[in-house]
Amino acid sequence: MTGTDNRNTDGNTPLLAIRDLVVSFATDEGQRIRAIDGVCLDVKPGEILGIVGESGCGKSVTALSVMRLLPKPAGRIESGRIIFDNIDLAKLAPNRMRAYRGSRISMIFQEPMTALNPVHTVGRQLVEAVLLHKKNIGKKEAMSIAVEMLEMVGIPEPGRRMGEYPHQLSGGMRQRIMIAMALSCGPDLLIADEPTTALDVTVQAQILELIKRMQAGTGMSVIMITHDLGVIAETSSRVCVMYAGRIVETADVKTLFSSPAHPYTRGLLASIPRLGTRRKTRLPVIPGVVPSLSDLPPGCRFQNRCDRVMDICRSVPPEPTVVGTGHTAACHAIGM
Amino acid sequence: MVAGEKVLQMIGISPLTAKKIKRFRSIRRGYWSLVVFALLVFLSLFAELLVNNRAIVVSYNGRLYFPTYGNMIPGSVFGLDYEYETNYRQLAKKFRAEQDGNWIVMPPVPYGPYENDLSAGRYPPTPPSFSQKHYLGTDTSGRDVLARLVYGFRTAILFSLALLAITYVTGIIIGCAMGYWGGLFDLLLQRIIEVWSNIPVLYVIIIISSLLVPSFVILLVIMACFGWVSRTWIMRTVTYKEREREYVLAARALGASDLRIVLSHIIPNTVSIIITFVPFSIAEGIIALTSLDYLGFGLPPPTPSWGELLHQGWTNMDAWWIVCSVVVALVLTLTLVTFIGEAIREAFDPKMHTTYE
Ligand SMILES: Nc1ncnc2c1ncn2[C@@H]1O[C@H](COP(=O)(O)OP(=O)(O)O)[C@@H](O)[C@H]1O
Ligand SMILES: [Mg+2]
Repeated sequence: MTGTDNRNTDGNTPLLAIRDLVVSFATDEGQRIRAIDGVCLDVKPGEILGIVGESGCGKSVTALSVMRLLPKPAGRIESGRIIFDNIDLAKLAPNRMRAYRGSRISMIFQEPMTALNPVHTVGRQLVEAVLLHKKNIGKKEAMSIAVEMLEMVGIPEPGRRMGEYPHQLSGGMRQRIMIAMALSCGPDLLIADEPTTALDVTVQAQILELIKRMQAGTGMSVIMITHDLGVIAETSSRVCVMYAGRIVETADVKTLFSSPAHPYTRGLLASIPRLGTRRKTRLPVIPGVVPSLSDLPPGCRFQNRCDRVMDICRSVPPEPTVVGTGHTAACHAIGM
Repeated sequence: MVAGEKVLQMIGISPLTAKKIKRFRSIRRGYWSLVVFALLVFLSLFAELLVNNRAIVVSYNGRLYFPTYGNMIPGSVFGLDYEYETNYRQLAKKFRAEQDGNWIVMPPVPYGPYENDLSAGRYPPTPPSFSQKHYLGTDTSGRDVLARLVYGFRTAILFSLALLAITYVTGIIIGCAMGYWGGLFDLLLQRIIEVWSNIPVLYVIIIISSLLVPSFVILLVIMACFGWVSRTWIMRTVTYKEREREYVLAARALGASDLRIVLSHIIPNTVSIIITFVPFSIAEGIIALTSLDYLGFGLPPPTPSWGELLHQGWTNMDAWWIVCSVVVALVLTLTLVTFIGEAIREAFDPKMHTTYE
């Protein structure tokens, strides 16, 4: 709680502000586990915010909470606020929330292979996306917007592609089409949930380049979710590091890479292969496993893997502490 | 083949579906069964021109008459001394004897399904006779068996298709709603369905048909009241699976409404699964109507029906041609439908789509 007010020091009102968000899921045993436990983050207008963390740490759940698309009835927002443009999305009525999706907040997914409907042509799906929020234009106009969008995301021969089906396109193409669909109504915020994880390395770079270009062109904000610090380095201006349903460190990219404050972040950075290291040396991997969300230890969630663990870590959960300008980390070791 | 695919694509059939159709066509047995079955259904729709006691064309004193459809033409019109409906078979004989340039074209089977042909002076049932043009003989009241079979086929098919349409539409709507919204609505309907499907349909029909004479529509409504359940069940399962697919999430992320997602995303994707059940449902419909008629709780006499023929044949084993005709017809029809069903299932089987080479 102490960290929330320290966050926004530069006076720039955030486009999206998540405060103390708690999301729980029903388990098969009938309990509720907290997949997200007190997440706070800001997205400023026109920035690319990275969220990085191991698989299962709650990145997608955070994104889906913003979209209000948590899998029902298992998933539920327990508490917290999701302030977007002065409106708390967490409390918005479903039909009003729908007006936000696609028009003001868009999302693209990890699997471009399955995120398009296999039975409809690309054109039909694009036109549908355009018409969903632009009720006052005709089908012809929507078609020309769709073609324009395809051209903008770098699809050659857009007119011909309109008539093709998803399975006739490569993964990279499909992700471009997903981006075109997501951006067709000019959203203020794009959430990209591991947009390149399923793609080849060369295609990955192209898609990231595309997202950066579209962001620069429109001035929208982007939340770039990834488990890959390389993607963060390439795209983001600021980063949130997540671990087991919490944000453990927030910093701008340069600071994070040059002086990480949280032991988990340091571990992550150490596991990135660097040029110049000899091939035989094994990458340092953070020892141990992520604790199960249904069986969390009291205190810090990283305690069982931390090389600097202290007594206090085993009983008191660390709160976010300011390390530097715009740099916070939740660790008891800071300032000691 | 490539040109064919282009055409399919132009009428809005995706290449994936086109591939399935192509695969269906390559299963010869199923494909030809479909061709034959479709032809039979098509022909049965024009049964009046093929199996009828009314002539197709009569040329009398330079005028042409087409008695098949429309009002009956009294005998006096053709110079006969009666006002009731012309007996075209006798008229044909008369024209042939007179040699006046009048002529008549009779259907290949010149008997109607309701007509008792007792003219031969023999006691029905009479065995098959080519000279009498009773190709499969007559039944116990002197009606032509082939005529009864043909019209009975039409009744059964139309009944089956109507039942199919009603139960599928209901099943798709309810099942989709259950699968998509889930929750309490789903739970409640599940229980209702469980109770509902424990009602013995046959007893209900027996009770109702003891209270009133079941017409085609009444029987259809009763059967539909109980038939929607299994369709709903299938649709519910399929929707549940489809709802979890990522493209549904992606569509919702774009702001699509639930109704739009169901109509334009989920249902089109479930068609290829639903369609594999269609032939088996048709067979079910035919069997259901036939057994009800057999038991005497179906359509009222003298509606031509296979069940009624089967019953007649069963109680008159001496008249072997009755039971033989209807059993052969039944087996043939159900075999065709089963072959079609198997082929569709094989062609649309999702397992077939992934092959590793
Ligand atoms: N549909 C679900 N049902 C139950 N638990 C879920 C569901 N989705 C996510 N979770 C829980 O939330 C946690 C975080 O998941 P997620 O946000 O998808 O991770 P990631 O960071 O890899 O995107 C998971 O470890 C899991 O325990
Ligand atoms: Mg994820």
